[in-house]
Amino acid sequence: MSSSPLPNYLRTNRKRLSLTQEEVAFLLGFRGMSRGAKVCRDEKFAREPNLRTALTYEAIYQKPIRELFAGLYECIEREVAGRAKLLTFRKDRGNNQQAAHRRQVLTDLAARQPKQSLNPAQS
Amino acid sequence: MNHPSSKQYRLLAIALSSRGLGYAVLEGKKFLVEYGSTSVKGDKNRLCQVKIEKLIALYQPDALVLQDTTAKGSHRAPRIKMLNQQVIEAARKQRLSVTLFSGKQLRSFILGNAQGTKQEMAEMLVKHFPDELASRLPRRRRSWESADSRMDIFDAVGLAVTFRMTEAGSATVDSQC
Repeated sequence: MSSSPLPNYLRTNRKRLSLTQEEVAFLLGFRGMSRGAKVCRDEKFAREPNLRTALTYEAIYQKPIRELFAGLYECIEREVAGRAKLLTFRKDRGNNQQAAHRRQVLTDLAARQPKQSLNPAQS
Repeated sequence: MNHPSSKQYRLLAIALSSRGLGYAVLEGKKFLVEYGSTSVKGDKNRLCQVKIEKLIALYQPDALVLQDTTAKGSHRAPRIKMLNQQVIEAARKQRLSVTLFSGKQLRSFILGNAQGTKQEMAEMLVKHFPDELASRLPRRRRSWESADSRMDIFDAVGLAVTFRMTEAGSATVDSQC
């Protein structure tokens, strides 16, 4: 069992606003008979919504995407840090100012830890 | 079974009832992630167990909080006592920390009065979580009416809040064994 945040907090935010899955699906612009089922799948972490849907969730719940998808964001941040670490080794050449700046950016990215404040429990 | 060092961890509280169960997922001290109640018909124990397993799989809690059905003065039905034990055993198999609280402990921690009623406890919990629970609070029960099914939610939230208040818990299963 892990203490990391959940992949998303869509259900929590929907219930806070007392909206039904059907209503959220309507706000998201979903069509069809079982549009609420798509919201259900998002909330049960069965699928990752696309960018447009994620931004619509932000507009509905008035919370930044990184907070709504706290667990997913943390996972992505960790992956980026890992890749940045690799890139730091690869791009460790060059002495000019631009190269130094790039090295600094990559080192900062590689050292980045998931921010605790992203967990809605602490905000 | 060890408690994670961080106070941030997620816990799942389950309140078993004659209808089914109430559940609450709490993160940190004041973040109620999920709450609800489920009614089951037929093989109640099996269906409740299935629901609990689904909740554990979905929310990946670090700790499970249950009612202490064996506490002195507890008048729970034999079926619920048996289900409680089955849930504890299932949680143990998943290496999940389990903590039990009796109804008396719940009322003592939340109301500061062991003689308080469920309704008073629910009203106190609404003050803790107004956005989430205010709309769920049932009206005061008349003496001839049976308890509202929404009270299961408040029982579960009460268990979660009590766990947080005591932090380590006062009557862990481990300590009883």
